[in-house]
Amino acid sequence: MTETPKAIAKDRAPLSGGGLRLIGYYWRRLTRNRLAVFGLAFIIFLALVAIIGPFFTPDPTEVDFEAKNLPPVGFTITHSTYDIKTDQFITTRVSGNWKHPLGTDRKGRDMLAMIVSGARVSLQVGLLATGIAIIIGTIIGVMSAYLGDWVDNALMRFTDVMMTFPFFLLLVLIVFIFGPSLAFIVLAIGLTGWTGTARMVRSESLSLRTREFVMAAKALGAGDGWVVFRHLIPNVISLIIVIATLSIPGVILAEAALSFIGLGDPTVPSWGIILEEGQHSLTTAWWVAVEPGIMLFLTVLAFNFLGDGLRDAFDPKSSV
Amino acid sequence: MRKSWLRDYIIKRLLYSIVIAWGILTITFILVRVGPSSPADKYLANLAAKGHDPAQVIAAIEARYGLDKPILQQYGEYMLNLLQGNWGWSLSTSMPVMELIKRHWIYSFQLILLSSLFAAVLGILIGIYSAVRQYTKTDYAFTFLSFIGISIPNFWLGVMLILIFSVKLGIFKTYYDTTLPLFSLANLKALVLPVITLGTGMLAAYVRYTRSAMLENLRKPFVVTARAKGLPEHVVIGKHVFRNALLPLVTIIMFDLGSIVFGGAYLTEIVFGIPGLGQVSFNAIFANDYPVVVAITLIGTLVVLLVNLTTDIIYTYLDPRIRYD
Amino acid sequence: METGNIDAIVLRVNELRTYFFTRRGVIKAVDGVSFELRRGECLCLVGESGCGKTVTALSILRLFDSPPGRIVGGTVCYNSTDLTTCSPQQLRRIRGKEIALILQEAQSALNPVLTIGDQIIEQMRLHLPMDTNEARAKAVRLLREMGIPSAEDVLGYYPHQLSGGMKQRVLVAISLSCDPRVLIADEPTTAVDVTIKAQILDMFRELKEKRQMSIIFITHDLGVVAEIGDRAVIMYGGKDVETAPIPDIINFPKHPYTMGLLECLPDVAKEVERLNSIPGMPPDPSYLPSGCAFHPRCPRALDICPRQEPPLVQLSKEHKVRCHLYG
Repeated sequence: MTETPKAIAKDRAPLSGGGLRLIGYYWRRLTRNRLAVFGLAFIIFLALVAIIGPFFTPDPTEVDFEAKNLPPVGFTITHSTYDIKTDQFITTRVSGNWKHPLGTDRKGRDMLAMIVSGARVSLQVGLLATGIAIIIGTIIGVMSAYLGDWVDNALMRFTDVMMTFPFFLLLVLIVFIFGPSLAFIVLAIGLTGWTGTARMVRSESLSLRTREFVMAAKALGAGDGWVVFRHLIPNVISLIIVIATLSIPGVILAEAALSFIGLGDPTVPSWGIILEEGQHSLTTAWWVAVEPGIMLFLTVLAFNFLGDGLRDAFDPKSSV
Repeated sequence: MRKSWLRDYIIKRLLYSIVIAWGILTITFILVRVGPSSPADKYLANLAAKGHDPAQVIAAIEARYGLDKPILQQYGEYMLNLLQGNWGWSLSTSMPVMELIKRHWIYSFQLILLSSLFAAVLGILIGIYSAVRQYTKTDYAFTFLSFIGISIPNFWLGVMLILIFSVKLGIFKTYYDTTLPLFSLANLKALVLPVITLGTGMLAAYVRYTRSAMLENLRKPFVVTARAKGLPEHVVIGKHVFRNALLPLVTIIMFDLGSIVFGGAYLTEIVFGIPGLGQVSFNAIFANDYPVVVAITLIGTLVVLLVNLTTDIIYTYLDPRIRYD
Repeated sequence: METGNIDAIVLRVNELRTYFFTRRGVIKAVDGVSFELRRGECLCLVGESGCGKTVTALSILRLFDSPPGRIVGGTVCYNSTDLTTCSPQQLRRIRGKEIALILQEAQSALNPVLTIGDQIIEQMRLHLPMDTNEARAKAVRLLREMGIPSAEDVLGYYPHQLSGGMKQRVLVAISLSCDPRVLIADEPTTAVDVTIKAQILDMFRELKEKRQMSIIFITHDLGVVAEIGDRAVIMYGGKDVETAPIPDIINFPKHPYTMGLLECLPDVAKEVERLNSIPGMPPDPSYLPSGCAFHPRCPRALDICPRQEPPLVQLSKEHKVRCHLYG
């Protein structure tokens, strides 16, 4: 009898009907955010580059002094080199060519190959180290929230201590002590970056324990295990996904920073190492500093857009 | 009634900070001793290259560093030394670590101070403006820019600024001139690019935090009450809304300090060649100068601890609700 | 203003329309409300949630959220000034000084980080030519009048240190601090328990009698209306559907909605199995039914009701209705 349109019901979440519909609902909310979509697209593109790239590019560590300091395609630069034989400065104009589309560095290494290698490193470190940090943080957070009392106290004091260390300084110290291999770097970042996650997971778990719907479920006779599975985990998962996505940029930057100051893995070209070299060739080969930086910037931006979009999509209070 | 609670609270926090400090020192000790390359090994490698007998050198170093004593005794001496101000000897610069720190901390301090001021003042102003003018083009522009700001790797930004303003345009020098007196205009000019480098990331973050804290409070009922009194808008925003937004803002900024600022300052010093503690640590890494690296990590951490404690106390002044009478 | 003339009109709202332009469409929160407030009377705005009474109150002083909200039509006349179109400076001189508003939730209507004293005094310093000491003295007097014990100390308190009832009284004190002519109170008795409710109603009665204050009292509680009101404006779907003096509203309600509201009041003396209620839900302001907004729930709806908006019918000098049954 009432003429209340169904339009009001359209945007409400279908909370029954299982996980797949829920995923679809969140996906729709996410994709309404254009920046988040751009972020996701770029990340996928980067992943493809990292996976397939090495098959199409030359060995990034291969040096070729003949082809050193070539600018990227479309750019021309003038080189002044001192020729001993004629005791004069010879000025040559060098242009980029398609053999080295992004140019070369001062040792003639192909920039594109190095960028691709850097993409691999960044994504690997990003995903693995973040994974480690998230797992440690979640375990500590959940344990703290559920085992309560002195366990909570002890864990939180420990977290407080670890949190007081400035992240980068601690990282530098650990890598300095234990050696700059890629594996250790991943481990080190994972072991130092879990504190934020632990705090957030703990607080979310604590609040969920006493939230009305948990009490309602228990009042209806649900056991603890059931409550944890069907109610707690879905709510914590969305938080973890957002934390993870927003942590990855910090991890990638940490690895890049370590490489930049020389504490990176010297055997694998990563964006940070390239950038460091670029800083010393600003006058002769500015692209060596610009290219890895742009990649870092875009990657971080992409993850930030995506993470922000995910956070809004999962937040029931935000109108997407 | 309130005053005594405050005093008790401060004492409680102080004691807690001491516990945390102890935890920090202990963990650092564990890291150093557990590490595969002990101080002896690294220095050993250096010396072996200069033709000394390894066995003798090891014995000498272990005696020097007390590594031949039982671990608990080492721990005790370590703590005692630290508390007395004996933070070790820097092999690469041939002076006590404490002395090294005394000479160089001021450069880090001025960089961090100026960057923080720049970021805080500008960030808060833009954040407030953005929140009050929500949904306008200016707001969208600032929001987008702040995304960019927090995403730019700050060491790359530094390099780019050098590329553009020093190499191509020649306005600034490429490296920090250490001969300049600290309180001179020339020094200030030399710090422009570093401050922008370190400050941009912080600025963007502060804009976002301020904006979100303001937005949280802008639609609250007490704001309508304030307007209903006939108060001019700038009083409503500045006095009523902002005072409330300040609370979460202070917390977030404090949290940021530990995780972001010191790392950023470290990198900025290296990019611009500013001889602050970050640069010192960087040099020490390459000289395998163990005590220095450890010491600088400790200093950074203890400063963060101090800032946390201070912020805690300031917060109790700002928020009347948490003083239980 | 003529003194002692109870028929002098202090505030006149005419065909006020306030719409909210959101991304999801236009919300016609107030869609053609007219009433007049007379000197020394207590006019009640009555209705369920969503009927537009709060927005009406906010619209009088243009206090609603302005990016989405806008007054699209009508006038609000005070002292020969149209408040809907006057300049912000004029409006600010009237807010607090001539017309005061007390918000709905006392809990959150006070600024949690400022002292009570600060919040009372800042307004006085703004509108009245007093210095801080005079303002303090007046504030203390006001708080005492409101029945707040140890008023001097309370000035230094923060809102969280006061109980709900005290906060409500502080709000009233703030609103009276500049001796306004008109007081608009939005649901001051809704969120409080019964004993406090009685005290608050007494307080308002005193205001009306002692200070000759003109009050717009917003509520959904007909019991309160009966106790304290002189005239009532019943609101539904953003419009005023019936306006009459209290005795007429209670004894001779004309609009089916008013009748429904009265039937909902439980009678303590009678024992019933089910309480009466009006079937259905109050409409969502963004999706109002066509024609008369009440027709889906109206037991006496005619064929014309969904098709055409009902006209305003003046049944007598003091009684008007918007209903097809009478026009």
